[in-house]
Amino acid sequence: MSRPITVVVVDDEPAIRRLFHASLSRAGYRVVEAGTAREAMAALAIDKPEVVLLDLGLPDRDGLELIPLIRGAGAAVIVVSARDATAQKVAALDLGADDYVSKPFDSEEVLARIRTALRHRLASESVTSVVRSGAVEIDLVARIVRKRGEEVHLTPKEYDLLAMLAKAAGRVVTHAQLLRAIWGPGHESDVEYLRVAARGIRRKLEDDPARPSLLRNEPGVGYRLLAG
Amino acid sequence: MAVMAALRSDTENLHPGPFGTVTGHAVSLGTTALVTLAGLAIAGHGTIANIGLLYLLPVLVAATRYGLRTGIVTSLVCSLAYNFFFIPPTHTFTIEDPQNIVGVMVLLGVAIVASKLASHARGQALIARASAAQSAMLAGFARQLTGISTMDALAQMLCRTIGELLDGDTVLLVRDEGTIAVAASLPEGFRPDPIDIAAASLAFERNRPAGLGSDMGGASEWLFQPVGTGERVIAVFGIARQDAAMPLAQERRPLLESLLDQAGLALERIALEQEMAGLAQVRERDRLRHALLSSVSHDLRTPLTTILGTLGAMRAADGEQAQQLATTRSEAARLHRFVDNLLDMARIEAGALDRRIEAVDLSEAVAAAVDDMARTLGGQAVMVEIAPDLPLVMVDPQLFHHCLINLIDNAVKHGGPTPVAVRATRAGNALVLAVEDEGPGIPPGDERRIFETFARIEGSDRKGGTGLGLAIVKGFAEAMGLGVEAANRGGGPGASLRIRFEPAQLKELPEG
Repeated sequence: MSRPITVVVVDDEPAIRRLFHASLSRAGYRVVEAGTAREAMAALAIDKPEVVLLDLGLPDRDGLELIPLIRGAGAAVIVVSARDATAQKVAALDLGADDYVSKPFDSEEVLARIRTALRHRLASESVTSVVRSGAVEIDLVARIVRKRGEEVHLTPKEYDLLAMLAKAAGRVVTHAQLLRAIWGPGHESDVEYLRVAARGIRRKLEDDPARPSLLRNEPGVGYRLLAG
Repeated sequence: MAVMAALRSDTENLHPGPFGTVTGHAVSLGTTALVTLAGLAIAGHGTIANIGLLYLLPVLVAATRYGLRTGIVTSLVCSLAYNFFFIPPTHTFTIEDPQNIVGVMVLLGVAIVASKLASHARGQALIARASAAQSAMLAGFARQLTGISTMDALAQMLCRTIGELLDGDTVLLVRDEGTIAVAASLPEGFRPDPIDIAAASLAFERNRPAGLGSDMGGASEWLFQPVGTGERVIAVFGIARQDAAMPLAQERRPLLESLLDQAGLALERIALEQEMAGLAQVRERDRLRHALLSSVSHDLRTPLTTILGTLGAMRAADGEQAQQLATTRSEAARLHRFVDNLLDMARIEAGALDRRIEAVDLSEAVAAAVDDMARTLGGQAVMVEIAPDLPLVMVDPQLFHHCLINLIDNAVKHGGPTPVAVRATRAGNALVLAVEDEGPGIPPGDERRIFETFARIEGSDRKGGTGLGLAIVKGFAEAMGLGVEAANRGGGPGASLRIRFEPAQLKELPEG
């Protein structure tokens, strides 16, 4: 690679920017700091980042408005949000953000989110055919799910849900996105359909449904398939 | 108040008394004498035919101006004078010609008919004048009312004006935290007796007049009239006479009622204005609180985020540093939890919780909470017993998540190293989620208290925590319409903290 991967950190707090700067530099990324939406847009044009870490509380503009612009410029967006700002997280994800981290964040978690976002960005053209998560293997081409090599029968909706999460492995997918894609546009708020399908998947695939290692429920936001 | 004086004098004219007024009789006698003198003068020139017609004049004057009795008296006097001076034999009271008896009868008849007509007409005129005066007075009263903006000023004006108008003692009573209080009175400083209070409460409760002169009588010397609009009684107006007589003549009741109707409207307007002012105050307070909350939230959390993040990124060079780093991290995390709890509590108390109720799978929710608490739990086991066929629960996922975290955190704190269990069971049509520990349990009588802000169970002070966790659980649960309860675990020591879902908060599974 001719140049290191660039991450733009957009946050109005210098201390938080410095913190990100330190941990991301150590992980080998080139870091550009932006304190306002204006600086972020400038950095987007000049530095052509692969990833933008975006705090939504900016002094000059609502951070949510920047998400489509950043996505349009081809960079992945990871939103940095307060713990209890569920509605804000969902709005950001529905606008095209790749993922989010809650404050206070763990540096390792941020790095993992960046890696996942980059992986999806690179793999977006060539679809992965098999996704693995622990003992579970999801073959997206043959539409077969195996656990420890043995085929597990899922209902069509359960499979659709698992497959959609597998395609976004490691990233959170919102309830509305899942419901729209699997049940149709009229069912975006029928979360109970999703709960039932998720319960079916967990019962058939998790070793201990009380400690799921496959499906992670993000309360009020969506589901995440734990890849690896 | 000239209008009122007029009202009063008109009323006197309308009822001149049983025998007429002295003036009336004097004037009548005078005109009769004049007419007689005139008649005598005319009779001196020869013709005396129809001279009796002259006497119609004093009779008509007396009957129309001074009423029936004066009219009859005048007609009798006129008959006598006519008889005495003009009917032969003159200068005697005997009548020879029966034709002249007719003359006397006609005078009497004219007196009666004319006085009836006149008194009727005068009555109509008086009523018209009185009602015009009353309208003018009510309009003036209404104008005065619109200028008043406080309850006190209105009460004083009402007592003074009506007291002067109806010539009595007045009082305006209002309800004040369950008791009845005097808002104003004329004369000032009136203290109602228990008897008066009882009558006034009756007027408040029944929204009807009570006391002396009403159909809900009693021992009170006061007549109490409710003041308000429609169904709502805002105050009660009382009127009494110093001599303890009937406070108000029957025909003055409508006047009092229309005055009080207007006062009721004004009272309601003032009450509404005060409510609006109160609302504006509340709004301003909420705005301040919101501003404070978000600024505290930002100013405390931002440095904490930086500290926690920096500590997370630090690598210890040796064992001693590793220990220091671990301590610092856990203390910073504790501080952060404390700030979060304070903010949550502030949001509960401000009623500023956003809720988005949706169907949530209990086992999924518990798994997410246990997962989030992995660091706090260390290696401690959490047993989860949730049957796979339980219905979904209708909650706000985020608030519920924090309820679970706080409940598990509490169980870990008080249960020590013993296992923590999360169980969901059906209880009739309802569903109960219990978080149980095997610690010392809850002292009897403290089952409710432990959900109070900053309540800590006896002897547990060294366990850390802020005493906010369970108060937050209760606040969040109640915001979602859920009940919380605490009890000791059946079959051994330990506490069991429960969230109860009523059938309306459950969603049986759809097929699919």
